[in-house]
Amino acid sequence: MRWLSPLEPNNRHQGVRTERFDGVGNWLLEMTEFREWRYNEGGADKAVLFCSGNPGVGKTYLR
Amino acid sequence: MIDSLCDRAQEDNIAVAGLYCDFLSQQEQTTTNIMGAILKQLVSRGGIPDHLREAFQKGKKEFGGRAPRLADLMGMLKIVITSLSQVFICLDALDECLPGHLPEILESLRDITRESPMARIFLTGRPHIREGVQRYFSKVVVIPISPNPDDIRNYVEMRLDRDTEPEAMSNNLREDIVRVILEKISNV
Repeated sequence: MRWLSPLEPNNRHQGVRTERFDGVGNWLLEMTEFREWRYNEGGADKAVLFCSGNPGVGKTYLR
Repeated sequence: MIDSLCDRAQEDNIAVAGLYCDFLSQQEQTTTNIMGAILKQLVSRGGIPDHLREAFQKGKKEFGGRAPRLADLMGMLKIVITSLSQVFICLDALDECLPGHLPEILESLRDITRESPMARIFLTGRPHIREGVQRYFSKVVVIPISPNPDDIRNYVEMRLDRDTEPEAMSNNLREDIVRVILEKISNV
């Protein structure tokens, strides 16, 4: 598998998962925009979701 | 996010791939390596039919010793994505990849969404890359992220609960700590 790419994103993911505090970012999961995106309700037009924010606001730790 | 999406992925024919961009890994986080990493995750999480797995092995031999090129990877990615009912690709901190890499990364993601309606892309990044993202995805749904007061309160209270000397902290002090931190956060 290393042939496909030298990057190992799962390592970083384990770190984030360990540090993450339960419940953080749950508000996003309940947003209409998020649900439409997740369940393909908006079709191809809504294929992309961009969470934008300054450093340290918690983008990485959204659950 | 990756874990939330995975919760449902177990039961259906859904796969999730995700990658954190990082200033410290800029040089090796090329479009080719990122797409390769996404493919690697989609394939290794299972749910990939055996004949595709065999195609990989065959492809690897055909390429000989050399690393796959971006076009090779994109071709394989599209095949894998089409075999699934839904695919989530998450890229965190897009602003941390090299500015020179960003257009190609976005272009590759756009290729995927154009060919595969079942692909869903989740991106995060600082506000300044918004225009760049919109150049490739004019209808991108943008969600501004700011610190959520409930999240912060829960976290601070958890930390205070775990204080090693709880008797040294009066209720007033405890309330002040929570209040001041929330005030500071509202100005971020």
